[in-house]
Parts: sequence; C-alpha cells; structure tokens
Amino acid sequence: MDLTFNARELAFRDELRAWFAEHDPGEEPLHDEDLHYAWRRDFQRRLAESGWAAVHWPREYGGRGATLTESAIFFEELGRSGAPLPANVLGLLLAGPTIMTWGTPAQKERYLGPILTAEEIWCQGFSEPDAGSDLASLKTRAVREDGGDWVLTGQKVWTSGAQYSKWCMLVARTDPEAPRHKGLTYFLMDMEQDGVQVRPLRQITGEREFNELFIDGARVPDEGVLGGVGNGWKVALTTLMNERAGLAFFLQVRLRQTLDRVIAEAAAEGLLEDPLVADRVGELHLKAEVLRLTAYRGLTAVEKYGQPGPEGSLTKWMWSDTNQQVTQFAAELFGPRALEAGGRWAYEVLRARGNSIEGGTTEVLKNIVAERVLGLPRAR
Amino acid sequence: MDFDLTDDQKEIKGVARELLGARSPFAKVREAAESERYDQALWDEIVSLGWPGIAVAEEHGGQGLGAVELAVLLEELGYACAGTPFLGTAVAAAVIDAAGSKAQRGRWLSRLAAGEARAGVGMRELIADGAHANVVVVVEPDGAQLIENPETEPFRAIDATRRFARLRDADEGEPLQGGASERVHAAVAAEVVGVSQRALEMTLAYVKERKQFGVPVGSFQAVSHRCAQMLLHTESARSTAYFAAWAAGADVERLPEAAALAAAAAADGGREVAASAIQAHGGIGFTWEADVHWLYKRAQLDAALLGGGGRHRATLARAAAARAAAPGTAAPRSAAPRTAVPRAAASRAAVPAH
Repeated sequence: MDLTFNARELAFRDELRAWFAEHDPGEEPLHDEDLHYAWRRDFQRRLAESGWAAVHWPREYGGRGATLTESAIFFEELGRSGAPLPANVLGLLLAGPTIMTWGTPAQKERYLGPILTAEEIWCQGFSEPDAGSDLASLKTRAVREDGGDWVLTGQKVWTSGAQYSKWCMLVARTDPEAPRHKGLTYFLMDMEQDGVQVRPLRQITGEREFNELFIDGARVPDEGVLGGVGNGWKVALTTLMNERAGLAFFLQVRLRQTLDRVIAEAAAEGLLEDPLVADRVGELHLKAEVLRLTAYRGLTAVEKYGQPGPEGSLTKWMWSDTNQQVTQFAAELFGPRALEAGGRWAYEVLRARGNSIEGGTTEVLKNIVAERVLGLPRAR
Repeated sequence: MDFDLTDDQKEIKGVARELLGARSPFAKVREAAESERYDQALWDEIVSLGWPGIAVAEEHGGQGLGAVELAVLLEELGYACAGTPFLGTAVAAAVIDAAGSKAQRGRWLSRLAAGEARAGVGMRELIADGAHANVVVVVEPDGAQLIENPETEPFRAIDATRRFARLRDADEGEPLQGGASERVHAAVAAEVVGVSQRALEMTLAYVKERKQFGVPVGSFQAVSHRCAQMLLHTESARSTAYFAAWAAGADVERLPEAAALAAAAAADGGREVAASAIQAHGGIGFTWEADVHWLYKRAQLDAALLGGGGRHRATLARAAAARAAAPGTAAPRSAAPRTAVPRAAASRAAVPAH
C-alpha cells in the first residue's frame, strides 16, 4: 500500500499544473449557453494544441498514453484549475476509445483527429423514450438499401450537446427477428442532414443541455457501421464501460470545491459556530473524502487486476448522493438567497437533481451492485 | 499510487481468515460469550503465532510489521467476532511502540508481544480487555495516557464476546506521545470493517436462501437495495480504515484527520450495517439463536470505544473549515517530496470561477 504518487506521476502533475498556470480559461460566461459552449470548445482547442486534450489516448492517436492514475490526475487538475470540462467530452471519453477498439484503419484515420481538436463534436444516441435503463429494448430501425446506404428511423432522447454535434454514436436495430441483444448495430451518424431533427429539452434549471433527436430517413453509408452489423450491443458496452471512467475524478474534485464554497460562505456568516452546522460539515467532509479514497481504490484495482473491485460500482452512487446533500445543505444554510432564481446556489441545487439519474439511475446502480457484486438474484 | 494490500498483507489476511474460520466459528464465539470468558485455546494459538506483537519492533520480540498488518488482523478478528483479548493487547503494544517512552517500551513490549502481559484500550469508563489488564491505554480528550497496573472493575456490556472494565478511581498515568489516541481509533475502525463485512456476508447468504412468495427474499429490491447500502457502508469504512492505517505508518502528519475519517465512518457505518443485518434476517434476526446479534453488539461497543461519530465529525469539521479558509494561500502540498493521495484539490486552489 502506497498512497503517494510516484516520481513519474508527480512529474506529470507538475507539468500539467504549470500548463494550467499559464493558460487561464478566463471568466466563465454565465447565462448564455451558446457562449458557454464556445468557451469550452475554445479551451479544448488550447488543450489539444499542447497535447493535453486526451491524455489517456495512445500516442499514435494524439494522446499521451497516460496510465489510469495519470488520467485521474489530469481530471483532478482540470477540476482544480477552474477550467471547464472539454466541449467534446463525449467524443474524447466515449466515441474515441470505442472507435479505437472497433474501428477500421480508415475510420480511425477519419474520426479521431477532429475529436481531439473539438473541430467535430460528438453526441450519444443510445437512450430512447421507451429504452432508458433497459437499453436493449431500443426501437430505432436501420434498413440497408440494396448494397447502398443504411436508412434510419426512430427517436432518441437525453442527447447532450446534440445541437452542437457533427456526429452521433448511435445504436439501432438492424434485425428485428433476432433476440433483443442481437440484431443491434452501432452507427456513426452524420447529424448534418435533413433526416435528423434536434429539439432541445428544457430542463429544471431552465437550460437546454440535452435534446430529443427525431430521425426520419437519415442516411449512414456502410462505412459508418462500427464493429460490424449485428454486433452493436458489444460495441455499445465498450462505450458504456468508458462512461464512468476518468470523469469520476473531475466530478470528485468539483464536489470538493462546491463543499469548500459552502463552508467558506458559512464561515463568513459565522454559521460554523453552530454545532449542528458543524456536524453536517463534518459528515459531508467525510463523504467527500470517502468518495475520493474509494475512487483511488477502484483505480488501483483496475490497474492491478484489469477490473474494478466491489468499490468500483459505488463511486457514482456516492458522488450523486453527496453532491445532492452538499447543495441541499447550502440551501438550508443560506435560506432565501440560495433559492433566488438565476443565483448560483439555486442552480446547483436544481442541477444536482439530475446527478442520480444521468449516467445510470441510483436505482439501477443498486440493482447492478446487488446482482453483479453481491450475487443476489435478479431483482423484481 | 497503490491503494491495495501487498501480497504479504493478503497472505496474513488469508491465513487469519482460515485459522479463525476453523478455530472460532460462531459456536465457539457463543460458548465464550455465554460463559463470559475468553477462548483460552484460541488465544494461546494467537500468541504462539506472534500476532500480539505484529506491530512491535523486532528488538522487543515483535514481528516488526506495521499498522496496516495490525489493521488486517483486527479486521479478521472482527470478522470472526472472536472472543480473545487481542484488541487490547495488540493495539496497546502498537501504541506503546509508536508513542511510548523508551522506558515504557522496555517495560511492556516484549511481555505484551509474548503474551505474558495483557493490556486494555479504551476510555476511563470503557476499557476493552481491561478486566485483567496489566496496563491500559486510556484515551482522553486531550491525549492518551498509559496507566500501569490499573485498578479496574469489570463492566458487563451488551457485547459479551469481549471483557470490558472501567477504571475504579482517578488513576493518573503517564502521558503518551501524540498520535496515541488516533492509533487506537484507527485500530478499532479496522475491526469494524471486519464486523461489517461478516454482517453483510451473513445477510447475503440468508436472503439468497430464505424464500417468501415463492422466491428468495433477496430478489426484492427493498431487500437487495438494503444490501447494496450495507456494501456502501462497509466499503466506506474500509477505504478510510486502510487510509488511517497507512497514515499511521507512512504519514503521521495526516493521521489525525485520517483517524477521524475512519472513526466517523466506522462508528455509524458499523452500527448501520449490523442493524440492517438484523432487519434483513426478519424475526430470526431478533432471536438469541441467530448469530447476527453478536455482530450488532460488537458494532455498538466499538462505536462507544470510538467515542461515537459526533466527536470525530467535529474534528473533521474543523479540518474542513481550515482548508476552505485557506484558498490559494498555502502552497500546494504537492510541493512536498512525498505526496499522499492528493488532497482534494480545491482545498488549496482558488475557489473556481463559478
């Protein structure tokens, strides 16, 4: 057991810190989503110019071949620097690694570069109105015209960033006769065509982070099939396995920053003298530290054994729970001023409600823990 | 960065699990508890294996290993809920080794390591293994002290698997150096990890077996989600207990906060898990015959030995406030040659733009 960074990891972090010190992301544009997105996109471009956009990618694709620990360090430092999550986060974390795993040489050549530079943004077309946690029940159809393009029809939902995206990684049913998990195919779909309509969904914060996609006769050439026809479930699992990696460390740091902000404001108002308040602070500090330590245990497990231990399934659940508690604590402490429309705390309180739904609901995560980690019978 | 036991530590854990599984099944635990005695044969074997001196330097007849190895053994003895004076003796020995004076080390370590003397740990009104102890480590709000040849009287706690005592008068001992209390708390927290793990495993076995409405009750989400929550508490206690054990050996500067994290997680988490075990066992879980109550009672007394979660949360609140108050001022700890699991960043960084 050694909870210190080794010389290589320290050097990596110091180099990164030096870079962040020289590259101020500038003032975060609030209250205008398009400007905000442009800010994130610009910052990713600057990361890419210095080779920092995707440290976990192999060098041959423009990454740094970083270890998992280094990748965690990257996301921690990104979080602590005040820089935004790269605009093309879904491309960097999901589409890129999936294409590297399943793509043909031509696909890798075509798609990976513009992901790094944020020149081409990616979105994820998995969920549907009737296929959320139960992804294999998806209904979007793809039919191949005689030896030509695939023609897609259906509807996707919760598609973050679709309004800015050039490409969509999408799973559709190509063989309706096959069993649920068979007969699916993974497509790389061009968003810039008439057959694809994007309708923003307004969320409880008032923002439009995600969208509905209406797909009516959209075309994907055969070169846009990833991993082979009928192999979509397996390819999608590659994407989903990447979904919770790396990001955990960014979220963990942001959670800590939010908690520090609550504590600093509470201290400024003299609220920490109240033992009841102090008790809650101690409890939330404990939870934030448990999350951080457990995330590191998970990292070691993956590095040493190639798969996470029982702790690996817990961190997303811990994070969403704790982030909701921290933001709710702010609302309790600061009263009306924390609930003023347009205010920062009001935003945080509302946005946190999505945490236990996005990327796997807590209920589904508990089912996964129960069935796969604890070996309990399939839930009813 | 390697947040995992070493192969040697895993070996120790495996040997302990196997030995205790064979020598101290619940039938033995029950026998010892109901007769209000320790399992002498088991203790003799533990002594012959050198476990009481696991964290005592070799020059004093110990194994020369550290706080993590001690934590691993405590976890396994907690898992077995074994009736032995291991906690008091081994933890006091480790504390004297790390925070005792030269004279104290000379007087006690070789005798404790050899099982010739017994020790207790706790607080004035609750000393684990204190009944026939030759020496006790007493945790007080302003530090810990070592009381030699203490005057104690037995205290019958609900946890009958362990012999408790309390100090009879206001005996004053000699103060131990800093970190002694934290080492006691880290050790008790390690035991709680084992208690929780056992309670979880017993519960899983039961809910897979027990059928109602024609199916195993573990297939009902109300039950399975409770089990998932038990895992979350257990792993939270484990993450913090291992961190504290590591800090006790490798980074004592961080021990106070690490021990408070471990103690706060263990005090409440252990009770929660053991209580859930009783609930998930249904009516059977409330009977003397089912063995989960030994774990529940052990978890209660361990929480009491830790002084409850509240005092540790108060410590954590002060630590958190100190961090949050120093944004951008202190140099990042990172500059230090040896850097632990990075402290959450923001602790030292400027509060970000939003």
